Amino acid sequence: MSKNSSKKKQEEHDLKGTLISVLGIGAFIVISWFIVFALFVAR
Amino acid sequence: MIKNSVALNKLDSKLVMAHMYVAFISLFIGGLMGLLQTLVRSGTLVLPFGISYYQLLTVHGVILALVLTTFFIIGFQFALMSKTVGMSDKQRDSAWFGFWIMLFGTVTTAITILLGKANVLYTFYAPLKAYPTFYIGLALVVVGSWIGCFTNFRQLYVWKKKHPGEKSPLLAFMVVINMLLWFIATLGVAATVIIQLIPWSLGMVDTVNVLVSRTLFWYFGHPLVYFWLLPAYMAWYAIIPKIIGGKIFSDSLARLAFVLFLMFSIPVGFHHQLTEPGIDPVWKFIQVVLTFMVIIPSLLTAFSMFATFEVTGRSKGYTGLFGWLKGLPWKDVRFFAPMVGMITFIPAGTGGIINASNQMNQVVHNTIWVTGHFHLTVGTTVILTFFGISYWLIPSLTGRKLTKKINTLGMIQTIVWAFGMSIMSGSMHIAGLLGAPRRSSYSTYGGSEQATEWIGYQIAQAIGGSILFIGIILMVYIFFYMVFAAPKGQEEFPIAEVSEDAEPTPKFLENWKLWIGITVALILFAYTIPFLDIIHHSPPGSPGFDKIIR
Repeated sequence: MSKNSSKKKQEEHDLKGTLISVLGIGAFIVISWFIVFALFVAR
Repeated sequence: MIKNSVALNKLDSKLVMAHMYVAFISLFIGGLMGLLQTLVRSGTLVLPFGISYYQLLTVHGVILALVLTTFFIIGFQFALMSKTVGMSDKQRDSAWFGFWIMLFGTVTTAITILLGKANVLYTFYAPLKAYPTFYIGLALVVVGSWIGCFTNFRQLYVWKKKHPGEKSPLLAFMVVINMLLWFIATLGVAATVIIQLIPWSLGMVDTVNVLVSRTLFWYFGHPLVYFWLLPAYMAWYAIIPKIIGGKIFSDSLARLAFVLFLMFSIPVGFHHQLTEPGIDPVWKFIQVVLTFMVIIPSLLTAFSMFATFEVTGRSKGYTGLFGWLKGLPWKDVRFFAPMVGMITFIPAGTGGIINASNQMNQVVHNTIWVTGHFHLTVGTTVILTFFGISYWLIPSLTGRKLTKKINTLGMIQTIVWAFGMSIMSGSMHIAGLLGAPRRSSYSTYGGSEQATEWIGYQIAQAIGGSILFIGIILMVYIFFYMVFAAPKGQEEFPIAEVSEDAEPTPKFLENWKLWIGITVALILFAYTIPFLDIIHHSPPGSPGFDKIIR
């Protein structure tokens, strides 16, 4: 697979929504984790 | 090339349907037990005829977590293998042999529990002791499933011989990974059942090494949840794209995720034993780190699913950051039910990460939070995906059609399930954080102030459980309607093709020796030293307790 054709494919697929979605999941995991961690520390 | 429109041949269909009958009858019985449990726990029902809460709990756990899942998964996987690599008469005979052994084992175990001789819950933790037929029945279920494993291995092996140099069909590859995982994991539970528990239960030995038995159980218990989850992932990766009118985003990524699950889902059992004395904390730490490695293939899957949805939506002309969501077939239950399952996996997986973290585990260990957690994972993500599979698999096997009416009823069923589970599991999570224990019948705990905080949530669990039972009745009705009453016709067996934009799949992804070698090496690394240490420094064995919970 040449570099040019790989680049072309990347341009063809707009995956901004996917990026935001997976970042959102990551944020949800981190926030939930820290909420329960805070509970552990408080106890 | 696989012809999607053609269903399986009649003999294979019959085999798969035999597994499905057991699965859906189990769903009804197990669900009824679950409903009764929530009513007892909320103080609204006293069980008649001397039936014990723990008897119900054992039936509920065994029949849903072990029987329903194993039969559905093995049946579904036979359907996938038959469709993608074919099944010979000999292979079908061995599959039937495995089925009958599993069924005989299930009936043996079920009778023992119903007679009140096995109130040991589905984890059958020693030193709680059941009558020998409980363990013998379970051992037969495992042996029957191994016959299924080796039948699947043989199916792919024969296909590879006939197609030298070709990569195996994606779904067949996934099935073999899942069965490898199952086989390696069940060696642990088979060891404790056959070497420790059966001789102890028969009275051949007086005591049992509790820590060894629990360690062997959790060597099996964690990969068990991936054995449930991977068939759902098969549908997400390779079937949902077809249903939504798209293609598989990346064959390589899908295979890599499955390989990572094989390697990292087994050497992690200690994260279920973080509060267990007698295990060196260093090895607990190592297994927690390995547990966190399992997050990687789950996040790969999340990325892959979103990418499939976005690419498909945009190819249909939908624009904007999230405009592609409108391009998804929200009114098609074959998509909607698994999609609700996928969305549920976000809080479900997050809960799992919290459970496996050492400090947080101290907050939630043995609380009803954990019960809430696995009712989201297996009880929603996995089961809604299995229901989603059933809407096309059952009619395609029985030569009938998924009608509009059943599609609508399935949508309602999914919503009822999601609503009931949100209430039940949500209240379990909150009550767990407030310290409410799991695996316990109704009690006011001597009027303790803390226990009064839990009762509202226990009532909420009964409400959620009752709604879920309506969902179970709906699903059982839908199943039997699709088997016996739906109009005759041909339902598609949807298998997606890989996107033409995807990179070619590297050959090393199918290097079985490499992946099995790494898996075994990781297991030996994570378990050898601590296991020898557990045996070497064991306290005296425990006698059995068979009347401690009634």
